[in-house]
Amino acid sequence: MPTPLKSLALLLGSRYAFPLALVVALVMVVISEVSYRQAVSRLDTLGSQGVARTNIQTLLRSLLDAETGQRGYLLTSRKDYLQPYLAAQGRAVVSLDWLARYYSAEPETAALMQKAANAARNKLSELDETIKLFDTGKESAWRELVMTDIGREEMDLVRQLSEQLLARETAKVAAGRDSIYDTLMLSRIGVSTMTVLSLLALFMYLRQTTALTRQRSEQARLVQAERDQLEVEARRRTEQLTELAHHLQNVREDERHRLARELHDELGALLTAAKLDVTRLKSRLADASPEVAERLTHLTEGLNSGIALKRRIIEDLRPSSLGNLGLVAALDILVRDWGRRTEVAVDSSLAPVRLHPSGELTVYRLVQEALTNISKYARASRVQVSLSAAGGRVRVAVRDNGIGFDTRAPKRSTHGLLGMRYRIESEGGKMVLRSAPGQGTDIDAEIPEGGVEIERSA
Amino acid sequence: MCGARLPFPCDLPFATDMPAVKAFIVEDSPVIRENLIAALEELAPIKVVGTAEDESSAVQWLARADHPCDLVIIDIFLKRGSGLGVLRAASELRKPMSLVVLSNYATPDMRRKCLELGASHVFDKSNEIDALIQHCTRLADGDTGPGSLTPAA
Repeated sequence: MPTPLKSLALLLGSRYAFPLALVVALVMVVISEVSYRQAVSRLDTLGSQGVARTNIQTLLRSLLDAETGQRGYLLTSRKDYLQPYLAAQGRAVVSLDWLARYYSAEPETAALMQKAANAARNKLSELDETIKLFDTGKESAWRELVMTDIGREEMDLVRQLSEQLLARETAKVAAGRDSIYDTLMLSRIGVSTMTVLSLLALFMYLRQTTALTRQRSEQARLVQAERDQLEVEARRRTEQLTELAHHLQNVREDERHRLARELHDELGALLTAAKLDVTRLKSRLADASPEVAERLTHLTEGLNSGIALKRRIIEDLRPSSLGNLGLVAALDILVRDWGRRTEVAVDSSLAPVRLHPSGELTVYRLVQEALTNISKYARASRVQVSLSAAGGRVRVAVRDNGIGFDTRAPKRSTHGLLGMRYRIESEGGKMVLRSAPGQGTDIDAEIPEGGVEIERSA
Repeated sequence: MCGARLPFPCDLPFATDMPAVKAFIVEDSPVIRENLIAALEELAPIKVVGTAEDESSAVQWLARADHPCDLVIIDIFLKRGSGLGVLRAASELRKPMSLVVLSNYATPDMRRKCLELGASHVFDKSNEIDALIQHCTRLADGDTGPGSLTPAA
């Protein structure tokens, strides 16, 4: 693109484009209007110039007509000839008056016109004089006057001056026409220029619009890309968190397992051995003093309390039934014990499923957590627990008919539920929680099957 | 509960007068095993003829014909396998022997399960040792009827 056009494009592309287009349009209107007015005024002038020419010719012809009428009258003495004479005289006067008014606006022509008018008036007065002398019978006098050639000279003068006036009018008409041509040409150039400028402005405007659209779509693309990026990041973080939760869960369960095993194996054996010792002592000291018997009873009670405490801690740390009896039996025991403790009616339908130990523990903990929640908050009178397998997935569900809660509201047991969800997800499953105030609570979880089915319960 | 006072004399000579009951013990904890053997042999007319630490060795021992025994005392939680498996295998042998469970985990459901699998009695390790000894004594007297000494749930 050449430099001037480029700078023009730059100008048009800028924020001045619209005002500029407005100015251009205004200029175009002004040019068109001015040319129109000039042309109209020129044409008006041409019209009056035509009238002036006609009047000049009328004047000349009227004078000739008047002379012709006068000659006819002088030759024939018939009044008939006076009629055209008088009419011509009247026309000449009218034309003279019109022309005098017309040329009064043009000082340079007014003098010429004055001369012509004087000559015409002299001619008319000469004609009038001869007719007066003829009518009064002064034969020689009117002949004298006609013979003086005054009339002919005056007539020639009028003719000569008329021609000069006509020539002037012709020149003026030609000038006027040229001026109209100029005006038309100016208008033509103006319209063409403005049209070109308009097209240029339109082109620039369209170019700008296209650029704007492109810019906008590019921006939208960037925003979308950023959003996608964030989504990927969020997914990655969630995966990391799930992994971390899984790891922490495993660490916690391992620790609990180890602790429970140590308590069971070591402490349990020691306590049981102590109990056996007490039993042996008791049989040997059956006949001893009541004091000794009382001490022995006290010792037995102490050992029993220790054993009960150890048992409670172990069960809390890790459900011993799970590892030894399998998931179905462990859940059955859990659900029955819970139902007995809370006096809530529990229906359980538990089918054997294939799960890895960690999956079994997850299911067990889910049911445990759900039951804990129910006894803490739900005020339920009926609970259903089900375990089943279908299509390679193990499904576990806990339903209650309690007071429920709004799942959208921030709630008291969020961490427990969140923990459950994470545990289920870290096993490759998913958990759905459905609840509403007064509608009870449904917890539905699915995890993929795995491991070998170990049917330990009969 | 049987309490501190036993309903029969517990002198050592008493044990030696009677034909000893042959017992087999399935228990994975050495501390408990040794103490249990000592206590049983001291307090009841019992002779412990064998022990096992896990399910498979227990089942193997029981399956041999040259291993006669009258009483099998089984712990449920073992290092490998489960006392429940031992119980099932032993009752399938259909030998004239008394199967009892001595466990730390004698919940009502566990008791029911064990009885279903062929155990005649379930004793809690921590507070039913006395009842176990009573059962052994009755066994030596020839009374093998179940239920009479089974502790209430």
